[in-house]
This record gives sequence, C-alpha cells and structure tokens, in this order.
Amino acid sequence: MLLNAVIITLREVLEASLIISVFLALSQLLERKLSWLLLAMFVGAVGGFVYGQNLGAVSMAWDGMGQELVNAGLHLLIFLSLLVFMTSVPHQHKKRWRIVTLIATITAVVVAITREGSEIILYLSGAMSIPNMLLPVLIGSIVGAGIGISVGIYFYYLLINMRLKYGMWLGYLFLLLVAGSMISQAVEFLIQADFIHAGKPLWDSSNLISERSVIGQLLYALVGYEATPAPIQVVAYVSSIAIIAVATVISYQFRTPPHDD
Amino acid sequence: MRYALLIIALCLSITPVFAGPPVFTLEIKEHLFFPDEITIPANTKVKLHVKNLDATAEEFESYELNREKVIAGNSEAIIFIGPLDKGVYPFFGEFFPKTAQGKVIVE
Repeated sequence: MLLNAVIITLREVLEASLIISVFLALSQLLERKLSWLLLAMFVGAVGGFVYGQNLGAVSMAWDGMGQELVNAGLHLLIFLSLLVFMTSVPHQHKKRWRIVTLIATITAVVVAITREGSEIILYLSGAMSIPNMLLPVLIGSIVGAGIGISVGIYFYYLLINMRLKYGMWLGYLFLLLVAGSMISQAVEFLIQADFIHAGKPLWDSSNLISERSVIGQLLYALVGYEATPAPIQVVAYVSSIAIIAVATVISYQFRTPPHDD
Repeated sequence: MRYALLIIALCLSITPVFAGPPVFTLEIKEHLFFPDEITIPANTKVKLHVKNLDATAEEFESYELNREKVIAGNSEAIIFIGPLDKGVYPFFGEFFPKTAQGKVIVE
C-alpha cells in the first residue's frame, strides 16, 4: 500500500512538476517575478479539490462521458496556454505581451495542478478512510510527491544554470513535447468518449518499452509516450508540435525592435 | 409546447432502435472486480458499465486498452472499448492494484 501510494502520487505530481519547473525557469530567464506561481499553485490545488469532489457528477454528465470531455478540455487548455506562451515570448519588451505571457503561464500551471491534483485528492481521501491505512498512505504520498517535486527542482536548476541561449532552447523543446503530449492525451480521451474512431494502433512497442516500466512512465510524463497509439493520436501529436513551432518562428520574425516601447 | 412534447415523445420512442453497442457490466466491490474476466466479441465496440460499490474511488486503467477513468466511490461509469483484435487485454484499478485486477478476453 505504501509503495502504491508512492507510485500514484509520483505519477501525477511528476507531470505537473515538470511543466511548472520549465515555466518557472523560463520566467526566471525572462527576468519575470515568480510570486504569481504561489497564487497559481494555490488556485490549482483548490481547483483539483473541487473537481475531485464533483467527479462523480461530472462523469455522469453528457451521457456518462463528462469526465472524458472535461479532461480533454483541460489538456486542450494547457496546449493553448503553451501556444500563447511560446508565441508571446519574442515580444517581451512590450507590456501588453508580457501580460499575455503571464496569463498563459498562470493558466497552464492552474490547469495542470487541477487535473493531476483531482486524482491525488480522490485517491487520498479514499485510501485514508480505510482503517490503518492513514499513515502508510500519507507517508507514501509524501515520498512520491517529494520525488516528483525534486525532479522538477532539478530540472529547474538545470535550465537556469545553462547559458541563457541553451536554457531557453531546452525549455522550449520540452514545452513543445509537452504540447504534443497534451494533444495526444486529449485525443485519447475523445477516443475513450467514442467521439473519435481509434482504428488499429499504429505500432506496438510494449515489448520494447512497456508503459508499466519506470522508463515507460518517465517517457509518458516527459513526451507523452504510448506503447500502442492510435494513428490519429500520432497525427495530432506531430501536427500540434508543428503548429506551435511554426507559430513561434513566425512570431519571432514579426518581433519589433526593443526600443519601440 | 405541444410540439416540443411530441418531439420528446418521438425521440424517446426512437431511442431503442439505436440500441448501440452491447453492454457488459463490471462491479467493483472491496477493491475487486466482479467478474474479473469478461469475454467480448472481436472487432466489436462494446460498452463497459462499471459500478463502484465501494465507498472509495477507483481508477479503471489499462495500458493495453488505452483507457483510464476515475470512478468516484458509490458511483458508476461508462467506458467504451473496442473494436479489438483477438487477445487478452489486462486492466486494473490503479488505486488498489494489488487486488483490483482483471482482463478482457477478446474472441
């Protein structure tokens, strides 16, 4: 039970932790204030609690497909925040754009914590209600959350201690992959809700890297790894990355000289 | 108003015609799946109706089926699976994986 609590909490925390650490690092590299982060994390935690408490009702909405639709929506919202963030970064010398960047960052952090937090809260509130489980579950979750947050902190220091140019590029690259992963997961939820036809998996790499394995789990959190992806998922993954990359390059081309504002 | 009622009545009467995919019911009780094996036809979409009779939440998860759905305590959920090739597709309850294990057998 203890180990299970570690794994579940780690899985959920890791994904949110990585996203937040990259936003933090990029904000730091852009010389932004970081105080907003505490607020965003708090709002995200409240959001996770509210979503978790109402999950039963949400699930039964829309012919029993409410959970899938809300989750797909949340993943799509993170994707849009990433798109706005990356296209607004080249225009940081203008106040308007700085506000846009900040709103995108806060949205991504709040939504990521809401999504992952709701599952942790449901798990914890259930597991801790079982006699004699309170302590092992609590300890396991603290350990899991600790590992997840540590990985995020490590990643953060890695990025801010690199040379500015490389740190920005690595952060950007990671956000691109997260964006692809978000769209891939959104598509998976729409398939689950029977809105999109899955078709046969494009490949089966479960013998090579199982989604159960530690590497599989880590790759899932990092790049949205799937051992048996639906063709449409792969198409959506690749095209969402292409859209953000192209939009970012175009935005960069259109940036005005810094002395304008 | 009369038309609205008529339309509703029509919709209700039409519904059974589109009965949709076959339904299979699964129950979660004391962190176990009942039944823990379900056999479904190959190349057919089916609807799993999962009833969580425990007070605790559970997450129906399967890497092989590419499905994950949280089911709150004392509530129900619907999960579509398939069409699938013949084979065995394990699933488990992520919150209580030691006991909550099952598989879908596609024939």
